[in-house]
Amino acid sequence: MNSTPRILNRILTGLLGILLLALGVLLVLLAGVPAAGVWWQDWAGGVWSRWSGLLDRTRFPGRQESWLWLAAAVLLLVVIGAMVAWLAQQGKGRAGLLVAEEDPGEVPGSVRIGGGVAEQALRAALAGRPDLAGATVATYEIRGEPALKVRVQPRSGVASHLLAAEVSALVEALDAVVGKRTPVLIHISSGARSRFGRAERVR
Amino acid sequence: MSHDTASGHAGHDSRSYGAGAAGSGASAAGTAEASGNAPFGAGAAGMERILHRETHSSRAVASAIAAVLVIVLCVFALLETAVRAIGQPPWLVDPELAAENIVALPDGVPPLLLGVLGAVVAMAGLFFLLSAVLPGHRARRLLRDRRAAVVVDDEVIAAALARRARLAANVTQQQVMVTVSRREVLVNVRPTSGVPLSADAVLAAVREELDAMAPSPMPEVRINVASAGVIGA
Repeated sequence: MNSTPRILNRILTGLLGILLLALGVLLVLLAGVPAAGVWWQDWAGGVWSRWSGLLDRTRFPGRQESWLWLAAAVLLLVVIGAMVAWLAQQGKGRAGLLVAEEDPGEVPGSVRIGGGVAEQALRAALAGRPDLAGATVATYEIRGEPALKVRVQPRSGVASHLLAAEVSALVEALDAVVGKRTPVLIHISSGARSRFGRAERVR
Repeated sequence: MSHDTASGHAGHDSRSYGAGAAGSGASAAGTAEASGNAPFGAGAAGMERILHRETHSSRAVASAIAAVLVIVLCVFALLETAVRAIGQPPWLVDPELAAENIVALPDGVPPLLLGVLGAVVAMAGLFFLLSAVLPGHRARRLLRDRRAAVVVDDEVIAAALARRARLAANVTQQQVMVTVSRREVLVNVRPTSGVPLSADAVLAAVREELDAMAPSPMPEVRINVASAGVIGA
């Protein structure tokens, strides 16, 4: 429900996977096949001599070091920044507002209803139920539109379709209060509390 | 403690399952409310996409591991190159010396160590590659509802079916184990010794519960009554 960049995740983890796999296979081949070692020393030696020649030619005037080291450091900084940005994208997408609309009435201004209204109303309505081990409600933003995610953890043995119908009745009551039909996702999940808590015996 | 299990995580077997709103012949007979043949997600705009995202893994964990790995490696390389760029002695290894050692590789390192290192790196690569390539089904199903989109964990379904089977078979909680995989529900019952148990009645009860629930994709139900009974249950 959050806006984790899934395609980007697949591409980047796939790239890293291919790289690591190739590196690992190369190491195993180097360890096991003598011919691979000969080829590697020849090929990598050629590449390295070209690079070290480049390092020699790019020295700071009057100094020992090449400015390529500085360029490499900048490049690494850019990569680190990109990785941090990627990491920050995971699980993003929570929103604060449930409704933000222009008021069509006489008074100029707009109406805003915070997501906390729906979250607290639904959580309070679900709090007293004996067949639930826990319930959380969160507001997300899906393509600019607010949506609600209701996650309920029933105790083991609760019929999920009946529970879903009851929660959706609560959501309909909320619709009447807020005056707008928000997209709602009900996630009936299992967790440690529903797995190890006491079973629901009487309904 | 419950003995209900739900297996069938991220795509280890070949299942085919289209995106959310494929109203694949799951009969909605006897659904609790008058949800009838409402589409999954109650027809709200964008809900198909949400349901697809909810029933498939986001690979956030693999991505986070990958990012942290790359960051750690880059920070180390950054330290060494920065130290080198300002002409200071290296912190752990000199980059040029490291490159020369890598070029000379099969020499200088015991082959066993090199092979094990390669195997570990290749396994890590395989983990990332598979997590990116596999379909990444989550063990979840969709239910029809009039108003909201409903996603249920397979484990919750297994627990509900186990309760129903236990009531139908008139045995204790420990004697029933239900496993829900992507295509199949397997009900394992160990009868009480000396008390006859009708497998058909239990199967019918579980089917009835599953039909009322009408999850999508709809699994097949199989029952397995143990030949050895339980004494004193």
